[in-house]
Amino acid sequence: MSGSSSKKDAPNSKRPFNSGAMDRFLAAAHKKLSSEAERIDQLFYSYAITPPWVIQPQGIDTLCSDLGIHHTDVRILMLAWKMQAEKQGYFTLDEWRRALTALRADTIIKLKAALPELEREVRRSSNRANFYSYAFKYNLTEEKQKFIDTETVCALLNLVLRSEFLPQVDALIHYLKIQTDYRVINMDQWMGFYRFCNEINFPELDNYDSDQAWPLIVDDFVDWIRSHRG
Amino acid sequence: MSSGHKKRNFQIEAFKHKVVVDPKYAEKTWKILEHAIHEIYNHNASGLSFEELYRVCPWRFILEELNTKWSDHNKALQMIRDILMYMDRTFIPSTRKTPVHELGLNLWRDNVIHSDKIQTRLLNTVLELILRERTGEVINRGLMRNIIKMLMDLGPLVYQDDFEKPFLEVSADFYRAESQEFIECSDCGDYLKKAERRLNEEIERVSHYLDAKSEAKITNVVEKEMVANHMLRLVHMENSGLVKMLLDDKLEDLGRMYALFKRVPIGLPTIRDVMTSHIRDTGKQLVTDPEKSKNPVEFVESLLDKKDKYDKVIASSFNNDKTFQNALNSSFEYFINLNPRSPEYISLFVDDKLRKGLKGVKEEEIETMLDKVMMLFRYLQEKDVFEKYYKQHLAKRLLSGKTVSDDAERSLIVKLKTECGYQFTSKLEGMFTDMKTSQDTMQGFYSAHGSDLASGPTLVVQVLTTGSWPTQSSITCNLPSEMLALCDKFRSYYLGTHTGRRLSWQTNMGTADLRATFGNGQKYELNVSTYQMCVLMLFNNADCLSYREIEQATEIISSDLKRCLQSLACVKGKNVLRKEPMSKDIGEDDVFSVNDKFTSKLRKVKIGTVAAQKETEPEKQETRQRVEEDRKPQIEAAVVRIMKARRVLDHNNIIAEVTKQLQSRFLANPSEIKKRIESLIERDFLERDNVDRRLYRYLA
Repeated sequence: MSGSSSKKDAPNSKRPFNSGAMDRFLAAAHKKLSSEAERIDQLFYSYAITPPWVIQPQGIDTLCSDLGIHHTDVRILMLAWKMQAEKQGYFTLDEWRRALTALRADTIIKLKAALPELEREVRRSSNRANFYSYAFKYNLTEEKQKFIDTETVCALLNLVLRSEFLPQVDALIHYLKIQTDYRVINMDQWMGFYRFCNEINFPELDNYDSDQAWPLIVDDFVDWIRSHRG
Repeated sequence: MSSGHKKRNFQIEAFKHKVVVDPKYAEKTWKILEHAIHEIYNHNASGLSFEELYRVCPWRFILEELNTKWSDHNKALQMIRDILMYMDRTFIPSTRKTPVHELGLNLWRDNVIHSDKIQTRLLNTVLELILRERTGEVINRGLMRNIIKMLMDLGPLVYQDDFEKPFLEVSADFYRAESQEFIECSDCGDYLKKAERRLNEEIERVSHYLDAKSEAKITNVVEKEMVANHMLRLVHMENSGLVKMLLDDKLEDLGRMYALFKRVPIGLPTIRDVMTSHIRDTGKQLVTDPEKSKNPVEFVESLLDKKDKYDKVIASSFNNDKTFQNALNSSFEYFINLNPRSPEYISLFVDDKLRKGLKGVKEEEIETMLDKVMMLFRYLQEKDVFEKYYKQHLAKRLLSGKTVSDDAERSLIVKLKTECGYQFTSKLEGMFTDMKTSQDTMQGFYSAHGSDLASGPTLVVQVLTTGSWPTQSSITCNLPSEMLALCDKFRSYYLGTHTGRRLSWQTNMGTADLRATFGNGQKYELNVSTYQMCVLMLFNNADCLSYREIEQATEIISSDLKRCLQSLACVKGKNVLRKEPMSKDIGEDDVFSVNDKFTSKLRKVKIGTVAAQKETEPEKQETRQRVEEDRKPQIEAAVVRIMKARRVLDHNNIIAEVTKQLQSRFLANPSEIKKRIESLIERDFLERDNVDRRLYRYLA
């Protein structure tokens, strides 16, 4: 009792009456909570390097091997999305807490167990576009960078879109590799690909209308498919 | 009703009074009248017994006879009406009986004209006579007029049913057959002549003996049978149709075709369509003919000839029809732009004219020529490309002092300004200003330094404003030391009077006059380019120089140096240098020396004139690229202007509006506009709408 009152807990200090049972329950809950938070932090510090206490690429590699996944696995990107990680290859404590608290994972085993649910969450229609655009932003590593080279874009498309839109993504990657007009891709074009996969009948392309506001690269892609179809 | 009742009461009273006076008055009077009427007819003719008439009279006299009887009847009728005038005026209107004269006509109509013995004969005779007249016989038109007038007097229905309708039917048959026969055996021009003649004949016939109202109807028949039914066949006749007429400038025939076709529905569009496709086809041939493209001046001259030709056709044969003029304009616009080099060639044409073609030509003729050029310019979709070339050519004219007429130059600028606005010509005008300013600067320079420069060479500098001139950032070559000192003097003079400016020498654009003394003592004045001067001056201190030595001394870039040496050593009659070995091309191991044996009839020798010429393929590509680069900011500015005003706009409309805004300068390519929009999205000027995929939003 005295231990719990010594903690400067706001609701506790305001309570005029000392209702023992309630206090005990709250204290237990808090202890559990704080210990979960503590364990999450502990887990963080097992990967982060001092100072300034950030998980760096090396730490992420270790994390990956602890989770039993490759560091290019889409699930690590999903984890980054869940953290809303700002900078590629780095997880800050705040980001780490944001994700792991939400996933209720305070051990590496729990985190591993939470991955399938995270995958389902990403695939939910309300999150898909957000995750897709995040994938692009996450790969912008330099200050004020707005483009990603087509090679990286191909790898990224493979990672985030191929499982859902296999023939489209294969065609698109093929096109991106043989064309010479575009060496970098911007966000607008990136989102254009997503729209294309989601909205256009493939491989018929019968509902594609180039009078709509498609990015030119999508027009060119469609022209290329059509001309190759003979 | 009530008023009628009252009236009757009043009348009865009046009658009573008369009846009282003489109860047998009416009966007596009628007897007298009846007698009189009989007398009228007996006096004049043997009555109305036509039985005899058509038995004894051969049918062709039926009209004469009928005419005589009709006039008798009319006279009789006149008298009877006079006698019965009182009845006609008082009794007939109130009892609504038929008036005497009308009654007489009705009797004539029912008993004579509509008698089955006469009706068909009369019609056949009249139609037969008209047919004879159509085949060239002379008929008695006076008689015809009277007979037709009779039918008209008997009322419009009689004229129409007993004559006009059958007349039109027979005429239609006649002209159908005749046109069929004509078209098989005449060419288009002859056929049209015949049709025109027939039409005029019918109009004339109406004026001589038919009701004026029939004119529209009968001409309609001729138009339909002779023109409308054969329109397409006529227009497309192999060796005489519209195309042939246009080719041979058959203005009269074309005029006839226009006048005749104008009378029928879709007649003029038929002519216009064939003319349009002919102009387009021949125009396309002209602009894509590789032979023609070899000589830009000829190319433009043939365009102008073609325009003159069709202007004349439309003016003299097609009544200056606006729709035809529009068709001509759109056809020219269509094919001129098929050749991407048209803007360049038109500018070269102007260049040619302003360089030499206008010497001794009167001012009005210059104006006419310039107006014609402007007309072609108006057809260009890529006016900015024209501007690019025009700027280049004008620069060369101004800098080499080759322009013939300053007035003509300025006049064209004014025309361009009127057509395209201030922006289009501001740089061109800037070039003229620079020329003028440079003159003043040179005067200032020589009045300041004149005394200590008297012995050396003369320097003329044209100070060109960067941006106004098509200058390239070229590397300045090494000038001869004499010149270098002078140039430095000028530089310090100029920068002393104008602070904060930068001067760089465009040695690739200058010219020089050299006085040269050759081995045999012959003196010549050589007019050369700055590069050529730099090369020639080297030979003041050396007898023999290798290509590499020249290159090292002058630092002229090799492509220019080769061209320059070629013009000095390889052109017959102008070869002031000798080259070892003697060959047409310049090799890097060649050795040059002064050609001591150089002679020329003229004391002044012009070497390698810098005349504007058709661009080479790589030069063309480069200009094209510059044009495309210049367009980008213009397209972006247009997009931003439009989006700023509209805030939200869909893709198609934005493309349409941008195209419209820019069309006075060039035809913007939709995919280029799309690219510019994407670039603006990238730079956060615009964004795509989240819901409606076609929409863009302006981000302020």
